[in-house]
Amino acid sequence: MTDVYVIGIGMTQFGKHPDRTAAGLGAEAVRGAIHDAEIDPRAIRTAYAGHVFQPMVTGQQVLGQVGLAGIPLANVENACSSGATAIRGSFLDILAGEADVSLAFGTEHLTGAFKGAFTPGEDDPEAAVGATMPAVYAMRARRYMEEFDLTREQLARISVKNKRNAALNPLAHFKKDITIDDVLMAKPIAEPFGLLDCSPVSDGAAAVLLASGDWVQRHGDPSRAIRLAASALRTGKVETAPGSMTFEELTRDTADDAYERAGIGPADIDFAEVHDCFTIAEVLRIEGLGLWEQGTYPAAVERGEADIGGRLPVNPSGGLLGKGHPLAATGVAQVVELVKQLRGEAGSRQIEGASVGIAHCRGGKTVGVEGAACTVQILTR
Amino acid sequence: MTTQTPVSFRPHDLVVADDGTGYLRGSRCPSCGAHYFPTREVCAGCLTEDLETIPLPTRGTLYTYTVVHRSTPAFEVPYVLGYVDLPGPVRVLGQIDAEPDQVTIGMDVQLEIVPWGTDAEGTPLLGYRFAPGGHA
Ligand SMILES: [Zn+2]
Repeated sequence: MTDVYVIGIGMTQFGKHPDRTAAGLGAEAVRGAIHDAEIDPRAIRTAYAGHVFQPMVTGQQVLGQVGLAGIPLANVENACSSGATAIRGSFLDILAGEADVSLAFGTEHLTGAFKGAFTPGEDDPEAAVGATMPAVYAMRARRYMEEFDLTREQLARISVKNKRNAALNPLAHFKKDITIDDVLMAKPIAEPFGLLDCSPVSDGAAAVLLASGDWVQRHGDPSRAIRLAASALRTGKVETAPGSMTFEELTRDTADDAYERAGIGPADIDFAEVHDCFTIAEVLRIEGLGLWEQGTYPAAVERGEADIGGRLPVNPSGGLLGKGHPLAATGVAQVVELVKQLRGEAGSRQIEGASVGIAHCRGGKTVGVEGAACTVQILTR
Repeated sequence: MTTQTPVSFRPHDLVVADDGTGYLRGSRCPSCGAHYFPTREVCAGCLTEDLETIPLPTRGTLYTYTVVHRSTPAFEVPYVLGYVDLPGPVRVLGQIDAEPDQVTIGMDVQLEIVPWGTDAEGTPLLGYRFAPGGHA
């Protein structure tokens, strides 16, 4: 079986872009990836476009703007996992021999799109009685506090860490350090969360170019190519009995698929980018991935083990809490960060000696199902 | 039993009698015993398609909760929202009719039928909440 490599990355500034469109942001990210890879764009054989709340055929609009219309493209919607699912499309095309170079991107323009809190979807029976996405995660946080003596301050530290990392990332939405008190005093959203426990609504896009090992050897720059060792995707199971809301079986199962494919285990992982849509979410993801034992991650954050320079840095890019969360762009931006770190191009937030990184996304909610879509990708130098 | 009273929540799954009492309906799998809420057509455990529609118990315990301060324009904030585990077992999300400082994980709660706004024609609707009290 061929190996798959990331040969180019591109990403826009994440934040508020009131005057732009998803297609325009997407085109900027795609052009960035093409320039980064230093390839003739005509080498690209297939493309996948992730977006969630954008006009139909946004992907084709992007291809049109960059002059690549004509090649096969599929638009992909998997909630917050849309961009990562697009990458999986490119990954599978290369494994299948359908393409030796494939483009995956995610783009989202959300400024002005929502009134009030983000909800699971209008027809969701839980939204009908008052569920919002922050409320669902807040309930998981409350239960975790009860089971594992998690403190409010420990939760706040996750936001402080990720916003500190974001301040080192020129493309991040948030650019300022914050304190634990800032988090505790922020406007309440869904207890125990305040505003700074929640990722912001952001606009932005990110793109990656994948290529086969053969193509890299013949036409590429092997010194900058980073191997995509696994790109796993699962759908949450329907619960046949009430499950734990403090451990994510879906994350564990998706990670197990990725570990098996990559021939890599949790002990080999040097750093992680995970779906920290809320502070508690980082805890649930990390423990689901098997990187820390259940109930132990918050204290590890307190000891600095997840800092850049710590035992296993988590969300060096700033994560969703700091870098921002343009839904479908998020999963692609995580891979962009992994590639920067593994190439040694992460500047002031560089993790020394990193050789294996993992990216995790989880998106969507449907009643009775533990989570809608989950992706785990493993990259190695 | 009657279902003539207009209800706000998936009319098939919330049943309200003339005297104002009511219950939620769920599904039970006769093959493997799994319970579901809301009702569904196929058992996710054993894939049986012959699920029974049953009345769910009206008393349970609070698994977890939050106090919502920011919501959609459809809801007045703040409100308490929680997951309730009913015998079956099956977990149901609902608002908790209590002051936030009275709410604790593990407390006993019971279903109550409450006014829930109006429909497009202005007809008053009924919905459900859970109130402290009762024993599961
Ligand atoms: Zn069954």
